[in-house]
Amino acid sequence: MSTNPDAIDAAFFDELRKYYSDDEIVELGAFIGFNLGYHTFFGTLKFYPLFSPDGRLISQAESEKIYGAAPVSLGKAEAAE
Amino acid sequence: MTYIAPLPRAAIADPALRALIAEAEKLGVPDDLFPRILARAPEQAVPLMRALVMSHAEGNVDHRLKEIMRILLARFANDKYFANLRSKKARAMGLTEQRIDDGCSAYEDDTKGFGAAEKCALRYADLMFLDPNQIDRSFYDEMKQYWSEAQIMELGAFIAFHYGMQMFMRSLGAKTAS
Repeated sequence: MSTNPDAIDAAFFDELRKYYSDDEIVELGAFIGFNLGYHTFFGTLKFYPLFSPDGRLISQAESEKIYGAAPVSLGKAEAAE
Repeated sequence: MTYIAPLPRAAIADPALRALIAEAEKLGVPDDLFPRILARAPEQAVPLMRALVMSHAEGNVDHRLKEIMRILLARFANDKYFANLRSKKARAMGLTEQRIDDGCSAYEDDTKGFGAAEKCALRYADLMFLDPNQIDRSFYDEMKQYWSEAQIMELGAFIAFHYGMQMFMRSLGAKTAS
């Protein structure tokens, strides 16, 4: 929906219907649209999570160092502990 | 015809959703196609519809400006559904198709009569999904010259929400109003 919306065609919906009901597809589509819009907006505001991957309350400056450059996999952070 | 069929109007029993549909029809945006599709996810339909209508028609930013921004975003999203809907309220306030077209494609042109605050808000919508990296600290500093922080949040949330729903409707192949 975000990177190549033209690829979402009738054939794509046919594939989705193998796994999801029409009601579930609407739920997913609205969820994706909502997140697509808001994550871009939030990205412009430059705010970051309040907690580090290990659960510490941290400043926005420290949080930017952890999360700012690229999305962080919390799973990887936990594995590194 | 959309890839996912909307529910028949008669199948929508939730009074809150029915009231929102009536409110939206009075406004003109959206018509009942969008909520009849949303109604397939009933837990989400009411809050999403309420957010769509309130963010557009209420708040502390001129509704006519938000109507231009909404159409600018829908055209950018290549969403034929929302791009072709028009706010009756904005029209009654004097918003013309020429003003909409100018606002969507030539708002920086000084001969088109957009003020500095309007230009900045339209640039905000323009850049949000075209090049969000340009919406940086200096851009927000410029916005703050014309808009309060509350108004900036109103505009940013409006842009994000409407663009997201426009991409959703585009994905469903909704090309015309019902």
